[in-house]
Amino acid sequence: MKKSWQLDRRAALKAAGVSMALPWLEAMGAPSSKRELPRRMCAILFPFGVAMPKDDAEDRQWGWFPTGQGKDYQLTNVLRPLEPLMDHVSIFHGLSHPRCRAMNGHDTGDTFLTANNLAPVSYQNTISIDQYAASVIGKQTRLPSLTLSTDGGVGPRTRTTTLSYTDKGQPIPALSDPAQIFKRLFGQDGASANDRRKLQNSESILDLVMEQSNSLSRNLGVADQRKMAEFETSVRDVEKRVERSRSWLDIPLPTVDRDSILLDTTVDAPRDYLKAIYDLQFLAFQTDLTRISTYQIGSYGPSKARAFPAVLGLKPDWHGLAHAAGKKGGPENIGRFDQFLAEQLASFLTRLQETPEGDGSLLDRTLVLYGSSNSRTHQNRNYPLLLAGGGKLGLRHNQVLRFDEKTPMSNVFVTMLQALGVEVDRFVDSTGPLDGLT
Amino acid sequence: MFCNRLTLILMASFLPATRAVCVDQSLDVFSKRVHPVLIELCDGCHGRKKSEGGIRLDRLDPDLVNGSDSEIWHDVFEQLKNGEMPPAKAKQPDAEQRKILTQWLVGALQDAAEAKRGQNGRVVTRRLTRYEYQNTMRDLLLIDLDFAQGLPPDPASQEGFQNNGSTLEMSPTQIEQYLDVARRSLSQAIVTGDRPRLYEVTQNATAMGKLPTKKFAGHAPVSPEFILDLKEFPRTGPFELKVRARAAIPAGEGVPRIQVSMGNVPGIIHVPRGEIGEAEVDTISQTITFHGRMEDFPQPGPISFGNSGFKGMIVMIDFVDADGNELRYPDRTYTAKTPPLKKQKKDQDEAIESDAKKEPVAFGGRLEIEVQSVEFQSPVYASWPPPSHERLFFASPHVGNESLYIRDVLKRFMESAFRRSVLATEVEQMAKLFGKIRADSETFEDAARETLAAVLVSPSFLYIVEQQNRASDDLQVTDFELASRLSYFLWSTAPDQQLMDLARQGQLKDGKVLKQQVERMLEDERSSEFVRHFVTQWLDLGGLDRVAVNPEFFPGFDNKLKTQMRNETLAFFSEILRADRSALELLDSDWVMLNRPMASHYGLTGPRSQEFEQVTLESDDARGGLLGQAAFLLANSNGEDSHPIKRAVWILDRLLGSPPASPPADVPDLDTENPDLAKMTLKQQLAVHSSKESCGSCHREIDPWGIPLENFDAVGRWRAEIPQVNRREPMEIDTVGVLPSGVEVEGPTQLKRYLVESQGERFAKAIVKRLMGYGLGRSLDFADRQTVDELTENFVENDYRLRALLVDFVQSKAFRTK
Repeated sequence: MKKSWQLDRRAALKAAGVSMALPWLEAMGAPSSKRELPRRMCAILFPFGVAMPKDDAEDRQWGWFPTGQGKDYQLTNVLRPLEPLMDHVSIFHGLSHPRCRAMNGHDTGDTFLTANNLAPVSYQNTISIDQYAASVIGKQTRLPSLTLSTDGGVGPRTRTTTLSYTDKGQPIPALSDPAQIFKRLFGQDGASANDRRKLQNSESILDLVMEQSNSLSRNLGVADQRKMAEFETSVRDVEKRVERSRSWLDIPLPTVDRDSILLDTTVDAPRDYLKAIYDLQFLAFQTDLTRISTYQIGSYGPSKARAFPAVLGLKPDWHGLAHAAGKKGGPENIGRFDQFLAEQLASFLTRLQETPEGDGSLLDRTLVLYGSSNSRTHQNRNYPLLLAGGGKLGLRHNQVLRFDEKTPMSNVFVTMLQALGVEVDRFVDSTGPLDGLT
Repeated sequence: MFCNRLTLILMASFLPATRAVCVDQSLDVFSKRVHPVLIELCDGCHGRKKSEGGIRLDRLDPDLVNGSDSEIWHDVFEQLKNGEMPPAKAKQPDAEQRKILTQWLVGALQDAAEAKRGQNGRVVTRRLTRYEYQNTMRDLLLIDLDFAQGLPPDPASQEGFQNNGSTLEMSPTQIEQYLDVARRSLSQAIVTGDRPRLYEVTQNATAMGKLPTKKFAGHAPVSPEFILDLKEFPRTGPFELKVRARAAIPAGEGVPRIQVSMGNVPGIIHVPRGEIGEAEVDTISQTITFHGRMEDFPQPGPISFGNSGFKGMIVMIDFVDADGNELRYPDRTYTAKTPPLKKQKKDQDEAIESDAKKEPVAFGGRLEIEVQSVEFQSPVYASWPPPSHERLFFASPHVGNESLYIRDVLKRFMESAFRRSVLATEVEQMAKLFGKIRADSETFEDAARETLAAVLVSPSFLYIVEQQNRASDDLQVTDFELASRLSYFLWSTAPDQQLMDLARQGQLKDGKVLKQQVERMLEDERSSEFVRHFVTQWLDLGGLDRVAVNPEFFPGFDNKLKTQMRNETLAFFSEILRADRSALELLDSDWVMLNRPMASHYGLTGPRSQEFEQVTLESDDARGGLLGQAAFLLANSNGEDSHPIKRAVWILDRLLGSPPASPPADVPDLDTENPDLAKMTLKQQLAVHSSKESCGSCHREIDPWGIPLENFDAVGRWRAEIPQVNRREPMEIDTVGVLPSGVEVEGPTQLKRYLVESQGERFAKAIVKRLMGYGLGRSLDFADRQTVDELTENFVENDYRLRALLVDFVQSKAFRTK
């Protein structure tokens, strides 16, 4: 007789669209690393903030934040979709990045994961937490990290369409098209002789391009040299990726069924689109192609996501809805949309939670940070924030934690990094790990 | 922004516009007006007695350009704007004081930003934008692929331009893409072996078959009037599709069109397809030819999905009328010439059978198209090997000797790709790479593909490089650099043979030659790229895609109309440039460019087809100029109603060159204080808004620019009053605005007249600056001021002719130096 967990596991994988060509657990591991169950993180931002009616207001149910605190809290309509998952979720009240409080309300998407002030005249960002984590744990997987956003690319400064920044503070272009993301994850096998040859050629080509760039740079103006340095850093990074791909050559990619994901869906169908994006992150985690992802649901700029509320028959103007959150009927409008977003998040978390891994589930070893860098629209304080997962990484949940403005949000980052096994005791302006999570 | 807005108008063009002058003016304003206000309001806490937070405003250097306190001044500005300072318990600035502080700070900070740009050196070497890359690859390789598909979108600079060198970034993902695209393209451009088998299909009647009818994952259901089955097809390569058709057009009807697309039927859910193109069909039978490449269209996967049996591709032809509405003929009878796409369900078979029993409706009695035949061929090559191959592997005396021949091939290819002559050492370096790769490759072509791919990821190809010799002060662009500046400015692609030849001969710098070249380039079809990209970015036409029209307010609004709106504005600008009309007509004109869908949208008549044509307006029609165009009006609405503030900001930013500062972080909510707001007219709402001190000081100068356009609704149609929709009551429109100059204008016509009569020079300067920013691919700085003033002066003198301005600009110092 088959043991029930084996059945479950196989069924879960099948449902996820993963068919196993090989004993994949072994096949997935990095070429040289010793097996230890992976630790992962995912950070998700939505723009423009939420409704925050007062506790005695009629439409308090459409406010994002729960009422009460500690273990004694009540979810409102908005986050109710997370109710069955609350054993894996903590919700925070009062957190924000102190260095970003005086910035323009629309500029803080850029700093959600970097925590730094953007000096407006010189605009210089710093490394984001996901890339910080990737520099340590990203080495163990085929892709160090995955950067996604609805709008794709990097977008204009102060309204960037990506959450991830390199150690030089340079924005990392996000992928937005599900088919392209799929290809990035599962596209290159590199097993055929032709592919091997190509990888080898790539190394020679990149060497030469680097030489060209060096000699070119000598005859450029100062500012142009800086731009060329950006080119060279990128080439060097690709060289590393090529090297990495070569070291993965003998390890087959997991085979997945393309058709199980709505790859040709577009942002015009928000429900399907969000599902596809979450499914892809789930698959990436499940097959251990990467352990780190970020997803920006919408940018603070002219985002395509502004039209998302149309999916509920609401005004297709997210920014307008957020602005109207204080008006009569406003909380319900934005609240219903935020509830929709919470439903999508809940499905993602549920899939992670229903997929067994080791002595727990995928969710137990995955940290999912979710929130906005505005509370009310344009307000850079008291971010609506929650952290899910990580039960087997030492996190305690099922609580609403309240903080005053002295506690910087970076404390959450420190807790997350520590749970991921990154040895660190501070991040930008942190004062320590966050109280109450561990 | 140049110089403080307070002094903008005072700055006559005869003043030498230098940094010193601007700083002096700013300092003068500071000591006379700003300093006294700061002392009065802030000195108690941040001055001689106390310095809370370590900040002493009395000691800050008011010279933001040369001093070191600009970041602190920026904080001062933010705190003031956000209402955080002075603190609530302290004395608050009155409206006049707030204005004095804000205006000075905005101006001085902008000066500082410009100066900083100058100090850090200009970025003149810039990466190709996505569209420039697309065009350049196409012209270089002589194949038409979607090269830029996988590249991330380019961000816009502060001025709205995507070709700004300092905002165009590079990332590892992009490099990977470039290399991948280079390889894929070269595998198409360079061929081996015999001419591949040609697949041919011709059908005289539609194939039958049930296609999905449900909307799914954002895909509209399809119901084409003609289906061509492609059971066998090549996976890649160019195809040609010939459609022979005629139309029946009753009197009064416009010319209908066919829309042709190709895709496959993977299952019951939906049909992934890509557009091949569309064309008008007239009463006389004609053959229309379309081209495309197989790999750009969704193809069936190797594994079947769902219960689909049909593994081929299908070409679909939809019929639309001149307004773009779909034409459907459920009563038409067809004879199936080919087997059904997939097995029909029994009841549907019956339904179709019963349809077939219906009396056929004779062709000609109504607006209708008859597709008489469709012929598909792929892969189609004019010759074999194709021109792309022949161009790379041209006849040379060294053909028999791989090692010598590859040097010939590389030299020629590198010169085209790098847009300059190349050094022997550069060729040698590449040839060495070839040698290395060749050792491991089966054929010469394989190794050549990989080597040429290296050329296509070289910085000399991906960047428009302008070298600077640091030993000398010579900042003149070289002839080759000038050729690239010209061609990327006016064509968005690499220089053609003539420009390269002139550059090689050292003739391009000659003023007369430059003028001739600009004229030649504007006559060339490729100049439509200039119109498209400059206008789209300058006027932010992309804004159309960021507004979703609410169908409750505009039932039946078809999103396809947005494309027509965009095209209207492009056609309008195009016409002004082509006929060399005054650019003031952008502000107001007594003619418009319309096609049938746009004319119907505006409630006008005239054009019969979707081609844009010039239409003269009645004297009382307010449609003329950009401000009467739906592209601007819709992009600056919220999809339900007009948005006078957005419209006003657009006018101030895009047309008058003075964008207002962004709103403070904490926008106060109006409603809590005024529950009756919903019942007010928009203008009354704005008045409530403006009466709040923190909003009013700016909004009183913004809103009046948008209010006179209230006659245009969200989608740009004319309205005399605001109709009732849902909870919104019908409302009167009030279009009277008092502009900052004190002039009162009512309605669009008066606003436009005011712009033409009183703001012409301001508009001229704004357009000059945007044109320069686009043409130079960088943000302007202090050193550009003189050029801006000179060009503006000449532009106004030349009756606002764009052609003269373009020539003038290309000959200016700014265009010819780095």
